[in-house]
Amino acid sequence: MVWEASMIESWASSLTLLKRGAESEVRLGDFMGMKAIYKLRVSKPYMDPALDSRLRAQRTLKEAKVLSVALARGVRVPRLYAVFPSLGLIVMEYVRGPTLKELVGSPGWESLAEDAGLQLGLLHSAGIVHGDSTTSNMVVSDGGVTLIDFGLADFSSELEDRAVDVHLLREAVTSTHPSAAGRFMEAFMRGYSRALGEGAAEEVSRRAREVEMRGRYVASRRSVWAEEGGEG
Amino acid sequence: MATAATRSSSSNSEVIVLGIESTAHTFGVGASRWTSAGPELLKDARRNYVPKQGGILPREVAQFFSQVAAEVVEEALSVNSLTPRDLDAIAVALGPGMGPQLRVGATVARAMAAALKVPLVPVNHAVAHLEVARYTTGLRDPVILYVSGGNTAVTTFVEGRYRVFGETLDMALGNLLDTFAREVKLGPPYVVNGNHVVDACAEGGEFIGWFPYVVKGQDVSYSGLLTAALRALRRGAKLKDVCYTLREVAFSAAVEVTERCLAHTGKRDVVLTGGVAANRVLNSKLDSMARLHGGTYRGVPAYYSGDNGAMISLAGLLAHLSGVHVEPERAFINQRWRLDEVEVPWYGKLL
Repeated sequence: MVWEASMIESWASSLTLLKRGAESEVRLGDFMGMKAIYKLRVSKPYMDPALDSRLRAQRTLKEAKVLSVALARGVRVPRLYAVFPSLGLIVMEYVRGPTLKELVGSPGWESLAEDAGLQLGLLHSAGIVHGDSTTSNMVVSDGGVTLIDFGLADFSSELEDRAVDVHLLREAVTSTHPSAAGRFMEAFMRGYSRALGEGAAEEVSRRAREVEMRGRYVASRRSVWAEEGGEG
Repeated sequence: MATAATRSSSSNSEVIVLGIESTAHTFGVGASRWTSAGPELLKDARRNYVPKQGGILPREVAQFFSQVAAEVVEEALSVNSLTPRDLDAIAVALGPGMGPQLRVGATVARAMAAALKVPLVPVNHAVAHLEVARYTTGLRDPVILYVSGGNTAVTTFVEGRYRVFGETLDMALGNLLDTFAREVKLGPPYVVNGNHVVDACAEGGEFIGWFPYVVKGQDVSYSGLLTAALRALRRGAKLKDVCYTLREVAFSAAVEVTERCLAHTGKRDVVLTGGVAANRVLNSKLDSMARLHGGTYRGVPAYYSGDNGAMISLAGLLAHLSGVHVEPERAFINQRWRLDEVEVPWYGKLL
């Protein structure tokens, strides 16, 4: 049987919708007996169909690659179960728990902030940047932080891209928990330094300050869906 | 019409601001009036510099501006039956734009404000494009895609200012279309009967794929697309297919970053403004995207899409009523005045 986008879309629409983003629907379902996230990149009626399907395939594949490389390098991210580039569908582990955003201020939150730093540092050492590194995209389960939502992630070891990740996090924490932001970033940088090394972490931190000084809002996000060799 | 007589009888409720635009190739003068019903655009006057041949040389444009400035001001007043004494403030676009042209507008505005002893209001040209779009479309809190020859930005109001959520990292959308048209000798002129020559050429074209589609977060990049399109032609692709694909990729990327801004901010409505706002294809793509999110899409009317003095007077009126003024001797032009540097205290209150 040949799967077509319309078939998978109608099937996926029967699953519980967790989140509707700009380019995807995130649903909760079952994968071989395990609870799983079905992330479906929906088709855009305003695009030429050929361009639309090419983009969805490329981005789905990129996200899946990022997830599997990150996991192999010991970063806590959802496990990849399956990917269907031509359908724009990724099936991955459902990580259950509150977001770090919900836990700042509650007992033991500073060690969680440190773990967030460790995870983002490990991600960066793996040559990946997250592109949307906020405390809403960090889930706490089994006492540790798992990074989720790699829709804007990319392979990059550029200082600037890493700094933007740190800057976005600082911005998110400052706007949501102004009084805890200082201690949060201190704890975060302790964990980040453990993963990346004292010197490199210091350099990223300095550049993140520069990014902040440029006074731009959220425009400095980076996530390249560069040309790749099509879908697998 | 606001004659001197009606003004004296209602001088407490009515405010009139003259606005001067001179950032690029249009010298425009417009007027806006505040009444108890809110802001109102009056008629405006404008002159466009059209080069006899080749591109635009800022000095030549500035020279043209200084020649026509007085008559454009006079025309803007007379079509509205206004006299200089009716003006409560003079607004001027101090940037962003080209230096020589900006200096002409600033000089005229400083002189008028000083002579009439009325406040001088500094206006950001980009913010004026946004305000005239909100005013004319009636969509008061939209995500705004601002596209013109030199600008491509996705912006919306958050906490006191328009924030740039995404923009071009290199070429603007209008510039991309014009440059491509020039390279393949479809233009100039670039716009014929309100239709861009690349659009016209794209009719019946097919998607040929593999042109770089570069969206980084909420930013776009077009320079690689231009290179790829020209290369495809050299390799023998059909011009109409290249035009179609170039347009599809460029517009889709602009619409996508607008959609990301919508999802990010949770707003529903979408507005298109700037010189490229008249483009039918871009309009229909944005309309389709806004519907997807249950919102409304509207483009700024064609008359106000290009540069004009009316929009400067409107933004100037709102700023004036909010107490935004500048001493004439400190009214410096700023060629790189970003739209997200401007406080917008009137948002949600006066407009």
